[in-house]
Amino acid sequence: MKKVWIIFIKEMLDSLRDYRSWSTGLFWAIFGPLMMGGILMMIGSSVRDEIDKPLTLPVQYAENAPNLIRFLEQHEVVIEPAPADPEAAVKRGEVNVVLIIPEEYADDFSASQSATVRLVLDNSRQSAQVDINRIQDLLEGYSAYLGRLRLIVRGVSPEVIEAVIIEEVDVSTPQSRATLFISFLPYFIIFAIFNGAAPIVTDTTAGERERRSLEPLLINPAPRWVFVLGKLLAAFPFSFASLAITLIGFGIVFNVLPVEDYLGVQLGLTAATLLLILLVCLPIVFLASAIQMLVASFARSTKEAGTYLPFIALIPSLPGLALAFFPVKPELWTMLIPTFGQQILINQFMRLEPVSTSDAVVSTLVTLVLSVGITLLAIRLYNREQIVIIKS
Amino acid sequence: MIEVQGLYKSFGKVKAVQNVSFSAANGQITGLLGPNGAGKSTTLRMLYTLLKPDSGFARIDGFDVTAAPLDVQTHIGVLSDSQGLYPRLTARENIRYFGQLHDMQGEALEKQMEQLIGLLDMASIADRRTEGFSTGERLKVAIARALVHDPRNVLLDEPTNGLDVKSTRAMRQFILRLRDAGKCILFTSHIMQEVAALCDQIVIISNGEVAAQGTPAELLRKTGRDNLEDAFIAALGSEEGLQ
Repeated sequence: MKKVWIIFIKEMLDSLRDYRSWSTGLFWAIFGPLMMGGILMMIGSSVRDEIDKPLTLPVQYAENAPNLIRFLEQHEVVIEPAPADPEAAVKRGEVNVVLIIPEEYADDFSASQSATVRLVLDNSRQSAQVDINRIQDLLEGYSAYLGRLRLIVRGVSPEVIEAVIIEEVDVSTPQSRATLFISFLPYFIIFAIFNGAAPIVTDTTAGERERRSLEPLLINPAPRWVFVLGKLLAAFPFSFASLAITLIGFGIVFNVLPVEDYLGVQLGLTAATLLLILLVCLPIVFLASAIQMLVASFARSTKEAGTYLPFIALIPSLPGLALAFFPVKPELWTMLIPTFGQQILINQFMRLEPVSTSDAVVSTLVTLVLSVGITLLAIRLYNREQIVIIKS
Repeated sequence: MIEVQGLYKSFGKVKAVQNVSFSAANGQITGLLGPNGAGKSTTLRMLYTLLKPDSGFARIDGFDVTAAPLDVQTHIGVLSDSQGLYPRLTARENIRYFGQLHDMQGEALEKQMEQLIGLLDMASIADRRTEGFSTGERLKVAIARALVHDPRNVLLDEPTNGLDVKSTRAMRQFILRLRDAGKCILFTSHIMQEVAALCDQIVIISNGEVAAQGTPAELLRKTGRDNLEDAFIAALGSEEGLQ
């Protein structure tokens, strides 16, 4: 065991001096938070802009409905003349929506019949959605308001036409409404764990072979598992540091940026939540180091290892991407898939949902068992004489 | 003391070593001479436990290389064909690492290192990182780390490969000093002048088999030639692969 420590210390010293490698790892650790911060700011500013901006509405034949126009103006809509060809203008994206008031509107209205107005819009245009929704809401509001007045004039209670009233009970906490954004988070966290370990693992295995120091090293009197374990442990601090930096980064981004203003929600990324996420991710540090070590040990050079490892790092991150689009309920089977279980747990922590302790334990145990298995495989690989025959 | 008896080793269909037997005594330099690809390095690798013999056995100071590899490893110092150093560690750190892996520590380790650094005339480079060292400087570090635990048996695989004349001479001097210190030295070479100049015992290997062995005088007598060069060629049966 003492020799495991000797190897660990040597690999730590060696790797710390290789500042280029670990600074690249550091970049990956802050890449996630920076990217999330950037996306949040972009989404936030565009959402806010559209809501704060007074709605300008091109209206054709505004003179046909002076009362409606007055109602709109009271609701901070700026009325402007419509372009000559409203449909073409909307199609080209010059205006988001055009209101057309037909000539017969006034007559129909006076006759207490349903008066028709026409909205020209392009539903496929994402950027126009806010304007379209607002003008539709305003027109429906106007229609309902007048309808009620007409009923009252006829001595009928407006409730007659409201057979069913929809009362919304929104059970989503503010945090869960931002799920789409934060469901990308586990992806970056897992990625950071793998990327933190990768340069160290590459250097201590494929690098050792490439610089032709593996053979002299293995002639030293120690069982092979000692070498495997020492090198594996040396990857842990770097992998862990990458995880911690990423989490701190996300903590800063989500607490310093006025996320509430951007999204209308507050995210539950408190220090306590971050600590819980850190804890459930710890087994992945082991897994990421072990699996990358096994793969890099087959590589003849660091360059070759560099072509394999990014794929390894990508595979466990895939469920995280899927999670962003197809939310999965935390069931036991999901906990049996290492890295997937943790991603679901991270999501639960962030959404301030109650997390089942047994889920966390199962996920941790499965990941640890798999990691131990992979480590044993690596030891077997180092016990084969081929380990020194593979030439660089 | 190294004893080798009936060693066989194949890689797939390639018979690298076939029935190699010899012994190397303490206080003597034993040379394995043979053309490139004759099986010298494979034999040495079985001795330093990285390869397992298919059959036959090898013992170092009485420890079997297959049954007691860890004991063998503590009793040998090896300069293998791979002499890679850790470029981000200083020469001293490189040597210390291997010393620690041989259960050395503290005062004893530092003293032994200091002695080797003096012996190899490398004090000026001892605290520099090995990145950018010349071939000769790298070799010195590799030797120092191989001998830091003061092993009784020293295995050297083509130790003068790629060295300039000055470094080659220094290397030979060093090997002679080791012999005078009573070590059992086994080294491989494909350069017959080198073997002739250094060795007390010569084992000529060709196509994985021992073609002839003995002291230089015995080899001359056995082959009936009057110089070693002719004797080598007579033993090998051809001039192929020899310098």
